Amino acid sequence: MTIEDTRPRSARYVGRSVQRVEDPRLLSGQGRYVDDITLPGMLHAAFVRSPHARARILNIDASDALALDGVVAVYTAADLAWLNPMVATGPMRDGILAHSRTPLATDVVRHVGDPVAVVLARSPYLAEDGRDLVDVEYEPLEPVLDPLAALEPDSPLVDEALGTNNISHLEESAGDVERAFAEADHVTRLRFHSGRSTAAPIECRGVVAKYEDRAGGRYTIWASTQMPHLLRMFVAPVLGVPEGRVTISSPDVGGAFGLKCTVFPEDVVIPAVAKLSGRPVKWIEDRWENLAAGVHSKDMICTMEIAAKADGTMTAFRGHFVTDSGAFSSIPFTPLVDSQCAGIYLTSCYDVRDVAYSVDNPLTNKCQIGAVRGVGWVPGQLAREVAIDQLARELGKDPVELRLQNMIGPDVYTTAFGQTYDGGSYAEALEKARDAVDYASFRERQAKAREEGRYIGVGFSPFVEPTGWATASAAAGGLPNGYYDTASVTVEPDGSVTVTTGLHSHGQGHETTLAQVTADELGVPMESVRVVFGDTDSSVFGMGTYASRSAVLGFGSIRESAGQVRDRLLRLAAILLEADPGDVELVDGVAGVKGVPGKTVPLQQIALFGYFGGTARPEDVQRDALTATSGYSPGETYANGCAAAVVEVDVETGLVEVEQLVAVEDCGVQLNPTIVKGQVAGAIANGIGVALLEDLVYEDNGEFVSGSLLHYLYPSTTEVPELDLLTIETPSAVSVGGVKGVGEAGTISAPAAIVNAIADALSPFGVVIDRTPVTPEYLRRKLRDAERTREAS
Amino acid sequence: METRQGNVAVEMTVNGEPMVGIAEPRTLLSDFLRHGLGMTGTHVGCEQGVCGACTVLIDGQPARSCLTFAVQAEGCRVDTVEGMAEGGALSDVQEAFRAEHGLQCGFCTPGFLAATEALLAENPDPTDDEIRDYLSGNICRCTGYQGIIAAVRRAAQTRKAASA
Repeated sequence: MTIEDTRPRSARYVGRSVQRVEDPRLLSGQGRYVDDITLPGMLHAAFVRSPHARARILNIDASDALALDGVVAVYTAADLAWLNPMVATGPMRDGILAHSRTPLATDVVRHVGDPVAVVLARSPYLAEDGRDLVDVEYEPLEPVLDPLAALEPDSPLVDEALGTNNISHLEESAGDVERAFAEADHVTRLRFHSGRSTAAPIECRGVVAKYEDRAGGRYTIWASTQMPHLLRMFVAPVLGVPEGRVTISSPDVGGAFGLKCTVFPEDVVIPAVAKLSGRPVKWIEDRWENLAAGVHSKDMICTMEIAAKADGTMTAFRGHFVTDSGAFSSIPFTPLVDSQCAGIYLTSCYDVRDVAYSVDNPLTNKCQIGAVRGVGWVPGQLAREVAIDQLARELGKDPVELRLQNMIGPDVYTTAFGQTYDGGSYAEALEKARDAVDYASFRERQAKAREEGRYIGVGFSPFVEPTGWATASAAAGGLPNGYYDTASVTVEPDGSVTVTTGLHSHGQGHETTLAQVTADELGVPMESVRVVFGDTDSSVFGMGTYASRSAVLGFGSIRESAGQVRDRLLRLAAILLEADPGDVELVDGVAGVKGVPGKTVPLQQIALFGYFGGTARPEDVQRDALTATSGYSPGETYANGCAAAVVEVDVETGLVEVEQLVAVEDCGVQLNPTIVKGQVAGAIANGIGVALLEDLVYEDNGEFVSGSLLHYLYPSTTEVPELDLLTIETPSAVSVGGVKGVGEAGTISAPAAIVNAIADALSPFGVVIDRTPVTPEYLRRKLRDAERTREAS
Repeated sequence: METRQGNVAVEMTVNGEPMVGIAEPRTLLSDFLRHGLGMTGTHVGCEQGVCGACTVLIDGQPARSCLTFAVQAEGCRVDTVEGMAEGGALSDVQEAFRAEHGLQCGFCTPGFLAATEALLAENPDPTDDEIRDYLSGNICRCTGYQGIIAAVRRAAQTRKAASA
């Protein structure tokens, strides 16, 4: 496949591992995160939160708190009755019940951590003192905790107003699934419980807000968010003001991973109480709040069936995905971001034309489910890839060969559900991963290890990652909305360049990659480009950064706008050089005439002429000067690749050690290979956590017991081995520059590779791995059960 | 010195400069640095002593500033990320983190830099296993640690070459 490459050849920053522009600031302590913002007269907020999974609020007595010196105010839902409800529907979508909530609980609390009241005080310490003195009287109610029981007609309801717990049941099928299963030589079935994990960025959430009684009332909100414009769009109507009266500024953000593309109650409560108190207010989430009351993710009971012929040809997939959705439908993406994403992309890189899925989304008295890196693709990948290994074992086939036998080709391919892949290295990525773990000799090594009483195993997980979230890709994923982004490029009078975008960077390095793109398009040194984002007042409207969209959307929108400016610069230079515009080239900030050495004019002079050259300038330059704004909504882009894991399981302790982890990534044309590697490595580490460590646990009474990082375990330097990061570059057939996204690949692929490797290691014991995380305790239980079964037979 | 509200004046040398601020006896060193002295380079990630983002050096030793009261650092030498770059030039450790892509969002970075300084002071030529072991108390959610380990390795080599 060939991609027309019209990039100027001069600067060529794209594709190079240039060092990051943002690093000196972040390395020297000059980052400005939300907790670094201080305003004159600012108060500090602390939230009173429910200790119960489900309870009726009988009374709230704040008198002791208010008596404390330094506590300024305590507000409850009654004080915020003037706010409009927060509503989650998934914007402009059918298939899920609209779910409405008040930012503070009114009569019923619905999960541990549900906010009930907010205390304002002179310092954060005093706010917490006050919080501890607010006396809330509760009448505990029977909580809804089991997602399957929640679907039963006799279940108590999490929200009586909805009349059901199941806020979304969807079914979709393509081909003739019934017939395929009826005619199959072999059917494999798997029930897999993908565990409850979350993003847990090192920086918790935070909101600072001030209200000024001018121009009818204006809110300025600083929030640790991935999507300033969308947050404004969702917050303004709840506050009851037009968007023009709300400014959202998202300063440096200390990691987000999807958690911060949710609209939270605190995003509304803090500006509201800034208005009520007449003082700026800051709230910085603590870690317990982050774990208990942010968003949870990936908790899904998956049922996966594969119909196959005796020769290993897979003929049909059927999946049922039940997301343990928590107490609220998250705004804006709803729990369908997990369940539906697991189902609708089920065929992944396999040529299976008969496919069906169904999803259910029962509300439960737990924290809401929202978008977190990898979303429902992770459980979907686990269910499918673990089932494929099971199928291979049952048929006596090699799991790699069986996958290759069923894989789609490298060209553009339309899945049974209608997603059109833009070309990829599906088989090649698996082969590359296979070779990187030296699969040819692995079985021998494995046999030898077993003789020594050591259990090693290998697992593979080829994947397709939907990226570049835009109108076409969202529709293909079941979310028929408009998604696009714009960039505005200005060459300033001195020739320096300012780019504004509604995309947001919270670790991805956009100040670098988007400057690379701009510099290439304009033919200027990268150092002259400044990328501005993260403020609704200074950036053009945009959708924010999530769903691995920014490389694709950023490249496309900048290439178009910068291209327009470049065209004007060339025509201006042609006038100054008395040459034909077609003969002028702009390289490293200097315009020259092709083939005429020495005849040049620097960009600074061209720009000054562009602004102040009077009627000598082309008409469009007289009107628009050197600014162009352009939008972009690409076609569907899908990255692909494969993870392979080699693990050793200590059968005495149940501990799993990841000996080797290979990640083959094909995200099309890479803007900056070092940044790509960083994205893949971080996502893989997250995937190790999902597979082995991370678990948000509720007790049988609904109590939440994973509220600290001592209980919610992250991978550290000792759990993430040195990774083998390999790349293939298949340019996208549809996107500008051939670019695809890369943000979530490792988190999608690594868990299934690790689970398959563990199952492979333990194959002599006949252990079936049916959940994540695969903790030592879980594995020991499985091994003990297997031993008992063997002894009994 | 105690004020009427029971607050105390706390003196310490931060990045070589004598500093004084008012703190409650319960004020954490992290909050004292950030909000008392306005040095926001030190970050707070968990306040539970787990994530390591708030790590600073107290008399050369790495310490969780979220588990240390400001008054405990009275009279001590405290080194934070703000003191690492000299005259606007990044230090060898900072340069190594930049060169090896050892940071993404930058939030955990000040803690890693402090821990790295402490490691290299203790062990100028650490093996990869020693690096991993020493830094296992600092958590990064972005990088998967690949760039961080490489950065520490590079910083050790640079320092060794400079002192040779």
